[in-house]
Amino acid sequence: MIRVESLAFSYAGAEFHLRIPEFSVEAGERVAVIGPSGSGKTTLLNLLAGILVPQEGQIECAGVRVSSLSDCDRRAFRISRIGFVFQDFQLLDYLNVLDNILHPFRISEALRLTRHVRERAAELGRQMGIEDKLHRRVDHLSQGEKQRVALCRALLPSPGLVLADEATGNLDPRNKEHILELLFASIKAHNATLLAVTHDHDLLPHFDRVVDFSNFRSAA
Amino acid sequence: MKRSSFIVLFYCLFLLLFSLLYFWSSVADAKVRPTVYVVNYPLMYFAQRIAGDHAQVVLPVPEDVDPAFWKPDAAAVERFQHADLILLNGAGYAKWVSRASLPRRKLVDTSAAFHDRYIATEGGATHSHGREGEHSHAGTAFTTWLDFTQAAEQAKSIRDALSRLTPEHKDEFAANYRALESDLLDLDARLSAISSRRPAPPIIASHPVYQYMARRYALDLKSVMWEPDAMPNDAEWKNFVELHQRYPADLMLWEAAPAPDIAERLRKLGVQSTVFNPCGNRPENGDFMSIMNANIEYLQRNFAH
Amino acid sequence: MIDSLYIAWRYLAFNKARTATLIGCVTLLAVLPLSLDLLLAQSERELRSRAELTPLLLGAKGSALDLVMNGLYFGDEVPELVSMASVSAIDDAGLATPIPLYVRFHAREFPIVGTTIDYVDFRGLEVAQGRLPALLGEAVVGAEVADRLGISAGDSLLSSPETVFDLAGVYPLKMRVTGIMKPSDTPDDRAVFVDVKTTWIVQGLVHGHEDLTRTDDTSVVIERSGANVVASAKLVEYTEITEANIDSFHFHGDPEAYPLTAVVVVPHDDKSATILRGRYLDGETPHQLVVPGEVIDGLLATIFRIKQVLDAVILVVGFATVLALALVFALSIRLRQREIETVFRIGGSRSTIARLLAAEIFIILVASASLSIVVSLIVHHYSGELVRAFFIR
Repeated sequence: MIRVESLAFSYAGAEFHLRIPEFSVEAGERVAVIGPSGSGKTTLLNLLAGILVPQEGQIECAGVRVSSLSDCDRRAFRISRIGFVFQDFQLLDYLNVLDNILHPFRISEALRLTRHVRERAAELGRQMGIEDKLHRRVDHLSQGEKQRVALCRALLPSPGLVLADEATGNLDPRNKEHILELLFASIKAHNATLLAVTHDHDLLPHFDRVVDFSNFRSAA
Repeated sequence: MKRSSFIVLFYCLFLLLFSLLYFWSSVADAKVRPTVYVVNYPLMYFAQRIAGDHAQVVLPVPEDVDPAFWKPDAAAVERFQHADLILLNGAGYAKWVSRASLPRRKLVDTSAAFHDRYIATEGGATHSHGREGEHSHAGTAFTTWLDFTQAAEQAKSIRDALSRLTPEHKDEFAANYRALESDLLDLDARLSAISSRRPAPPIIASHPVYQYMARRYALDLKSVMWEPDAMPNDAEWKNFVELHQRYPADLMLWEAAPAPDIAERLRKLGVQSTVFNPCGNRPENGDFMSIMNANIEYLQRNFAH
Repeated sequence: MIDSLYIAWRYLAFNKARTATLIGCVTLLAVLPLSLDLLLAQSERELRSRAELTPLLLGAKGSALDLVMNGLYFGDEVPELVSMASVSAIDDAGLATPIPLYVRFHAREFPIVGTTIDYVDFRGLEVAQGRLPALLGEAVVGAEVADRLGISAGDSLLSSPETVFDLAGVYPLKMRVTGIMKPSDTPDDRAVFVDVKTTWIVQGLVHGHEDLTRTDDTSVVIERSGANVVASAKLVEYTEITEANIDSFHFHGDPEAYPLTAVVVVPHDDKSATILRGRYLDGETPHQLVVPGEVIDGLLATIFRIKQVLDAVILVVGFATVLALALVFALSIRLRQREIETVFRIGGSRSTIARLLAAEIFIILVASASLSIVVSLIVHHYSGELVRAFFIR
């Protein structure tokens, strides 16, 4: 699913440099990425999503050379093939739960908002246990419920790759386990690949593989 | 159809058409005839003499009411408002005028030309508010037409007003006025002749309504306040006797014939009663001219005695 | 585009206060100059039409504008007074018909117009209910007066004291309303019409009281000298004219000296008008004879100059408002940086952001435009009443 070769990236005017000689994730794998703060974990996710462009090297996702795409194509690729789950959920307060879930379909011409999509959104909400909250404002939800909304939004376009950046970072222990269960179940149901950045070592046993960013050694 | 029947039918139709045309023209004429409202009978007479058929002259005062003291209700005032011309006597006649709302442009004060010759009534009470306040108005004698030269001036004022209202009949009004003026001046001449024949004898009047006549025709006149049909009380008789002693009149003028007992008691005092009807309202019989002629005749007879 | 509008609508609806403020500002910016234009145009129409229908107006020398505003529009400013003698002078000249006006007193907030029946014919007014005044103390009211006070023919109306603390001054007179006029869309709708003599009663120049020559109450008499009776201040004057007391109402002093605020002069023809105007051009005369149309032209020219200044001010304020609105938007974008980043991270582009903001601006403009149209239509519909209520008084 993911192939990274001879990747080199640095932010303009900053000391940070990321070098990844080789990195890969197989389709359907559930990979956790760990490492100290500032080691480039979130940067990797942004490079894989096409938000950032490497100065050197190749990035291939689901058979697409993301690093070679145009800006417009990268956005279209990102919104339709990649689901992003953020630590702080990044929901829009002024939209209700359903509108937040449908949001990607409203802001990109690459996705079409049809009746079928609405029905899928409702089904996703049912699967996540928030079907009775679809018309509520998101600021009335608990942290766990918000992350479930974020999961629905990420999964609605049926992405092949789900990138989760500290998806359980803001949750209490009980919710963490629950959200992770939901995430894994959804990944499995959608035949998707999961690459999750996490600081929480308690969750590592749930993953198929753990990649330590500090030395790029794979730990099965 | 027979020839004769046709002729009859033709004439009937002709008559019908003629009648309709006549009716139509009279209705049309009636519609455009201006309405002239007046406040007393002399003005009514003068207006009718001058206007002829070219105006409808109305005196809305009931026949048994003295027009000088008539109090119209709002409905009657409203009828005045809708008139084309309103002829006022002036000199304070018809006090109701100052308390009513009348259209100014339709008002004509027929005695305005000689307002500087109005006579203030004697003995009228006034009042003021505070020592520095302005007095209320004293009374003014208002039977202006009893000086027939003034009557002629009032008639002239009516002629001018009617001429402004319907200028197309101006010449006719002028001619009618000249005839009326001639009649009034004839009355003036006759009355002047009566009083010029001898030194003016003292006369007592039942009411103070002959002031202009007295001035014009040099009559020596004193007035009391008696009604022709009400026997004066003892105090009034006593006052009369005292007046008669100072003022030995042998003639008393009445607006209407006095009750026989009053006339008899006066006759015992050596005072003959005679009627000089000011003719403020419509007379039962006759008209203004016939009444005035009769007045002068009675006076002439009494002066002759 | 529909989706952008939907998201923009949701955002605006969520931030109600901010949205309402923005819509209010833009609406005000659009409506203010438009309404001002509408109202001024209506004012001009009303002022001109009424002035053009009034050939000449006679008053005391002084402010011609005060004279015209009081005589034609029953304004609150009372000009210097003239006397009834000026009416007689016009009558005697035989060149015009004079219509006296005494506009000084009020019944509640409505002007009492003392005049004669001729005024009704002159202005082409008609009675909708009841009849015109026939006797002293009667009044006919304009349509707006009847509406606002809820009165009809047969009711009564009190005149108001000139000043609240004028205990020794004008007594309220209880007037009988005899009729209601048909609406005319002129200042006549706001007037209480009475005979001019009734206004003199309100002032106290004409009054009624018991007959002093026959009263038993000696405390109302100071002294009797000759034929005159001097009354004391204890004497009560009637504050209502009835059938029983109307005969007691009388004048003191010379009625020719009684006051008026103006005289409408209707010349018989153009030549008469010219002759009359010539007579009153003399510097010695205490009167002025003005052509209301010319006075109003002068006023409108001044209003137009003021309007130009107002337009410039509105333009500057408008520009400042637009700048402020732009600043608000710019700050709003900064505050929504996180939202913009989310959109960007999940696949939206800069053009997506621009479309969303444009949609918000579009919705605000459409809402403001709609509100502006509604307000303008309302102002247009009620322009006559607004002008008469606020401008022409």
